[in-house]
Amino acid sequence: MKRYAYYLSCINESMTKEVDRSIDLWQKDLGIELVKLHESTCCGGSNLDYVSPKHFALVNGRNIALAEKMGLDLIVSCNTCLMTIRTAKKKLDESPELKAEVNELLKQEGLEYRGTSDVRHLLWVLVDDVGLDTIRQKVKVPLKNYRIAPFYGCHILRPSKVLGHDNPLEPSSLDQLIEALGGQTIPYEHKNRCCGFHTLLVAEEESLNVAAEALEEAMASKADFIVTPCPLCHTVLDGYQVKALKQAHIDNSIPVFHLSEMVGLALGYTAKQLGIKRHMVS
Amino acid sequence: MTVSTDQHKEEKKDVTFRVFRFNPQVDSKPYFDDYKIPVERGITVLRSLNYIKEHIDASVSFRAFCQAGICGSCSMRINGLSQLACTTQVWDVLAKCREEGIIKIEPLRNLPLIKDLIVDMDPLVDKMRHYSNWVDSTMAESEMGKKEFLVSEEEFLRYDKATDCILCASCVSECSILRANKDYVSPAVLLKSYRMNVDSRDGIHDLRLAELVKDHGVWDCTHCYRCQESCVKSIPIMDAIHGIREDAIECRGAKDTSGAKHAEAFMEDIEKKGKLVEATLPIRTNGVVWTLQNLLPMAVKMIMKRRTPPPPPLVKSSKGIKVFRAMFREMSEHVKQDQKSHKK
Amino acid sequence: MKPFDVVVVGGGGAGLYAAMEAMKTNPSLNIAVLSKVYPNRSHTSAAQGGANAALANKAKDDTVEMHIFDTIKGSDYLADQDAVDVLCSEAPKIIRELDNIGTPWSRMDDNTIAQRPFGGAGRPRCCYCSDKTGHTILQTLYEQCLKKGVIFFNEYFALNLSVNGSRSRGLIAMNMKTGKVEAFPARTVIFATGGHSKMYWNRSSNAAGNTGDGQAIAYRAGIPLKDMEFVQFHPTGLRKSGLLITEGARGEGGYLVNRDGERFMARYAKEKMELGPRDLVSRSIETEILEGRGFDSPAGKYIHLDLTHLGADLIKSRLPQIREMSMQFEGVDPIEEPIPVRPTAHYSMGGIDTDNFGRTVMDGVYAAGECACVSVHGANRLGGNSLLDILVFGRIAGRMAAEESGKFEPGIISDAELKEQLAATRSNMQSSGHFERYGALREELGQTLAINVGIFRESSLLQQGIRDIAELKERFKKVRVFDSSDVFNTNLMQVLELKNMLDLAETVAAGAYAREESRGSHTRTDFPVRDDAKWHKHSVATLVNGTLSLGEKPVTMGRYELQERTY
Repeated sequence: MKRYAYYLSCINESMTKEVDRSIDLWQKDLGIELVKLHESTCCGGSNLDYVSPKHFALVNGRNIALAEKMGLDLIVSCNTCLMTIRTAKKKLDESPELKAEVNELLKQEGLEYRGTSDVRHLLWVLVDDVGLDTIRQKVKVPLKNYRIAPFYGCHILRPSKVLGHDNPLEPSSLDQLIEALGGQTIPYEHKNRCCGFHTLLVAEEESLNVAAEALEEAMASKADFIVTPCPLCHTVLDGYQVKALKQAHIDNSIPVFHLSEMVGLALGYTAKQLGIKRHMVS
Repeated sequence: MTVSTDQHKEEKKDVTFRVFRFNPQVDSKPYFDDYKIPVERGITVLRSLNYIKEHIDASVSFRAFCQAGICGSCSMRINGLSQLACTTQVWDVLAKCREEGIIKIEPLRNLPLIKDLIVDMDPLVDKMRHYSNWVDSTMAESEMGKKEFLVSEEEFLRYDKATDCILCASCVSECSILRANKDYVSPAVLLKSYRMNVDSRDGIHDLRLAELVKDHGVWDCTHCYRCQESCVKSIPIMDAIHGIREDAIECRGAKDTSGAKHAEAFMEDIEKKGKLVEATLPIRTNGVVWTLQNLLPMAVKMIMKRRTPPPPPLVKSSKGIKVFRAMFREMSEHVKQDQKSHKK
Repeated sequence: MKPFDVVVVGGGGAGLYAAMEAMKTNPSLNIAVLSKVYPNRSHTSAAQGGANAALANKAKDDTVEMHIFDTIKGSDYLADQDAVDVLCSEAPKIIRELDNIGTPWSRMDDNTIAQRPFGGAGRPRCCYCSDKTGHTILQTLYEQCLKKGVIFFNEYFALNLSVNGSRSRGLIAMNMKTGKVEAFPARTVIFATGGHSKMYWNRSSNAAGNTGDGQAIAYRAGIPLKDMEFVQFHPTGLRKSGLLITEGARGEGGYLVNRDGERFMARYAKEKMELGPRDLVSRSIETEILEGRGFDSPAGKYIHLDLTHLGADLIKSRLPQIREMSMQFEGVDPIEEPIPVRPTAHYSMGGIDTDNFGRTVMDGVYAAGECACVSVHGANRLGGNSLLDILVFGRIAGRMAAEESGKFEPGIISDAELKEQLAATRSNMQSSGHFERYGALREELGQTLAINVGIFRESSLLQQGIRDIAELKERFKKVRVFDSSDVFNTNLMQVLELKNMLDLAETVAAGAYAREESRGSHTRTDFPVRDDAKWHKHSVATLVNGTLSLGEKPVTMGRYELQERTY
C-alpha cells in the first residue's frame, strides 16, 4: 500500500463532494492510501499569489510542510490547487530569503518547509505510480462502447515550467488512463483548452462562451461523455452547462464526469455510490 | 581548440504543407491547398513557404520581413500553435505532427482575416492606443535631451523581459477570452501596459490603471496561461497580468471592482477559516442583485441535487486554525513593513 | 484627400523620429507616415548592438571630439566633416531624449545609461539595451508617435513621386489591402525607407524588404544618389542564412578564430584585434577563407566566432538574442561551441544625396537614415553609428520639413496619373510575353553582386557584374506576376521591389567600376591603395533621360587632414 498525503480542495469540500467520496471508494483497490490533511488550508485559488505574494508563500509552504512532516508526497485532485501549490513550491525553492521568512513563522506550528515532498496530481499518481498495467488488470467493468472526450483543463498543463508532466500541446496522460480503463478517447481540439472557470464571477458571458465552445466540439465529436481531472472545469462544464449552451443557442447536452468517477465506474462501483447523481447534467 | 567536424548531416524529406487559403475577392469560404515539397533538415517553415511561393504557387500570401525572429511579421498557426514561421524548424514540427508528414498552416486567430495567412493587426494597434501603451514622460518636452533619468538596475529588470515583446500577436491568437470576446484588452496589450506602469519615468500610471480595471480589462483574464505558453520570446506574460492586478488592489483598494473583490475574498476567507466560503463568493464579488438574477435559477436545481455550497456558519475551519491565523496575521505585519520600506 | 503638410515614407527609426519631431515642431500640421509594413516591423528592430554617443558614462574622458575623429577616420576620410560634427554633437542629446521618452536603456551601477566598446571607437561609447537596442528604440518611437496622434498608412507600398518639372506634388502609393493606387498630395515628402543591401539577397543580413524603394523612387524622379559603390559587409553573418551576429558579441570579448585555432586578427589589426573597423575585419576574414584557413561545409566556407570563454552568465544576460539566433538558425549554442560566421552584405553607406538638413535637390523632398547619404559614414560606417544616424538626421529632417512646409504648395495629383501608374504597376500581370520568375532573377542578382561587386572587386569582375545587371533588367521586362488579385498581392509587391533593386544595383556596380582606388568598404584588387589625388571625392549617380550618368562632388573637409588609416 503506497501512502500519500492528500490535500483537501475547498471545492471538493463544498460543491463537488463526489470527488473525494469516489476516491475514498476505490483507493485501496488500486493499492494506494491517501491520508487526508485536515490541517491544510485553501491554496488561494490562483488569486492569492498576486493579492499577497508573501501570504501565498506562507499558506502553501505550510500546506507542503504538512506533507513533509509525514514524509509523504502531496497529492492534489484539483488542477488549480495543483498549479498554485507547485508555483509556491517553485518560488520557495528558488528564494532562500522567502523560504527563511516562511519557516520562521512555521516554527510556531512546529513545521518546516524543506522542499522534500513533491506536489502531484492524482492523475499522475494513477498513470506513473499505480501504472496503466495494474489499472488494466483491476478493471471490472471496462468502459468499452464509450467514446470519451478528455478535458485536461489548463492548470494541469500550463504553465509548463511549473507543471511539466504532459506536453501542453499534446497531453496524453488522461488519454492513456481512458484507454487503460477500456474506453475510447476522442481527439478534439479543446482537450487542452480552457473551461473559463476563473472569470465566471467576473466576466460570466465570456466564461460561458469559452465553455460552450468546448462542449460544442465534444458533442460534435460524438463523445458519450466528457471526463476532467479538475473539479473547477467540472463546475463550469456540468454546473453551468445549461446556461452556457442556452447562451450559445445550442439545444443539446453532454454528461461530464470527474476523473475519480470514471475510475470508479470501471472498477465496478455504481453511479449512485460514486455520487454521479449529484451532477447537474445527467 | 579543436577543429570541429561538420556534424550537420543533410537529410531530405518530402513534406506536405496544408495551407489555409482565402481570397475575399473570389472565395466564398476558406479552403486548404496541399503543397508537397522536398525539405532539408535545418530549413524553417518560412523558407519552405518562400519556396512554395517562388516555385509552385506565387499567389500564396503571407507576411515576412526580417526572417530572424525580431520583426514579428510571420506569425501564423503551425499545426495549431501560433508561432513565427521564420524561427520554426520544419524538422521540429514534423516530430510532433498529428498526421505524419503533414504540416498545417493557418492564419492567426482572434484577428480579422484579410487573405490566406494575413490577418488585420489594426485592432491590436487600436487597443495599444486605448490603453495608452506609451511612456507619458514626467519630464516637460522643453527639458528633454538635457539630462538622463537615473534608473536603477532593479527597475530596469522589472520591465526588461516585457520589452522583448515584438507584437507578433501569437498570444492574441491563443487567448481564450479574446476568442469569447473580441473587445477584451488582449495579453500583448496587458504586457505593454504593465511595462509602462512599472516605469518610473511615466506619469500616467493611475489613468492607465483606471482604464485597465474597467470591463474587458485585466480582471477578465481567466488564467489559462496559453499566452505565456505560446510566447515566441518566452515572456512570462501572466506575471505581468498578475502584476497589474496586484498593483490595482494596492493602489485602488480591494473594493474597487468585482475582480478585485473576488480576489480579495480569498485572502479574507483564508485568514478567517483557512477555507474558501464559496456560498457567499458571488455576493461578495458582484453584490446581492447580480447574484439573485444570475444564480437563482440554477440554485433551485442545485439544492435539489444537494450541490449548493454550505452557508458560512457551516463551513468547517481547517484544523489548527488558531495558530495558522496568528502566523497569517504576523505575515501581514511583514507585508506592511515591506510596503513602508518600499515607499521610502 | 486633404493635402498633407508632411508625408514620411517609411516607418523605421528615421521615419518615426521625423514624424515625432515634425509633430513636436508644429502640432497643427497634417502629418502622415506611410509604411509598407507595420512600423514596428521595420528593420531598425534588427539593430542589436547600440548607438554611439560621447556621454562619458563609462569612460569619463570620452569627448564629442574623439567621436568625431573616430567617425572620420572610420569613413576613410570620405565623410563630410561638417556633417560628422552634427552627428556626434547631437548624439548625447538624442540618447538622453530617447531615455526621457522611455527607451529602456541598460544601466551602469550608478544608474546612468550603460555603454560598451564597439569596433573602430577609441572609447566605450555605444549605448545599448542588452542586444535588442534597435528593437526597443523602434518600439519607443512607435509608441510616442501613437501618443502624438501621427496618422499611419500601414501596408502602403510607395510607387513614385508625382513630379512637375523640378517640383514634387506628392507621393503615389498602393494600398496593399485593396490594391488601389492612391494619391498623397503633400507639401513635403521625407524618404526614410532604409537601406538597399538586400540586393545581395542570400549574402545579406537585411530584411526581405530592404530593397531601397525610396532611393529608387528618388533616382527615377531625377534626384541624385551619392556614393552608391560603398556597401558594408558585416564581418559576422551566420553561415547558413547571412543573418547578423552583432558586433556587440566582439565588444563583449568574443574571438575570431580560424581552423588552425589562431586569433588571426593579430595579423591585420594588432592593437584593436577583433574590434577593428568592419571593412578591415571583413576583408581579414575573407582573406583567411580565400587562403584556405577557414572551415568548410556544404553550406559554405566560414570561420569561428568564439564566445565560449565568456561564460554562460555573461552570454545569457548580455547576448541572449545572439544565443537564440545561433541555436535557431545554426543549431549551435555559443555557450558550448563557437558560432560559424562569414561576412554578409549589411549596410549601404550610399543613398539619396542630402545636405546636413536632410534636403535633396528637389524642393520639399527630404531624406534621412540609411536611404540617405549626408554623408557621415563616407566609405565605411562605424558600428553604433547607424542607429545614431537615423535618429539624429531623422529628427533634423522632420523638423526641417515641418518648418519649411509652409513654403511649398501641395500639388494636385491627377486621376489620369493614378490610372497610368496603376496600369504600369499591373502590366506584368498579363500572361502574354511574361514568363520570367521573379525569384530566379532576384537570386541571380544576388549571385552576381556577391561575386562581382562583393568584398574584393576588380575591373573584369565589375564589367561582368554590369553586363549581368543589364541583362537582368532586360529579362525583368518579361517577369510575370502570377497572383492576379487586388487584395494583398505580395507577389506584385516583390516584383516591384525587384525593379527597385535592379535600378539601384546598376548604380552600385557603375560606381564601383568607376572608382579606381581602394577606400573603406570598396576594395579594388587592381587598385589596392587609396588614391586621394584622384578619388578623394563623392560619386554621384543621376538618371538623365533614362540613362545613368556619373558625376562627382567634393568632400567637405574641416579640422582633420587626410591621414593613412591604420588600426
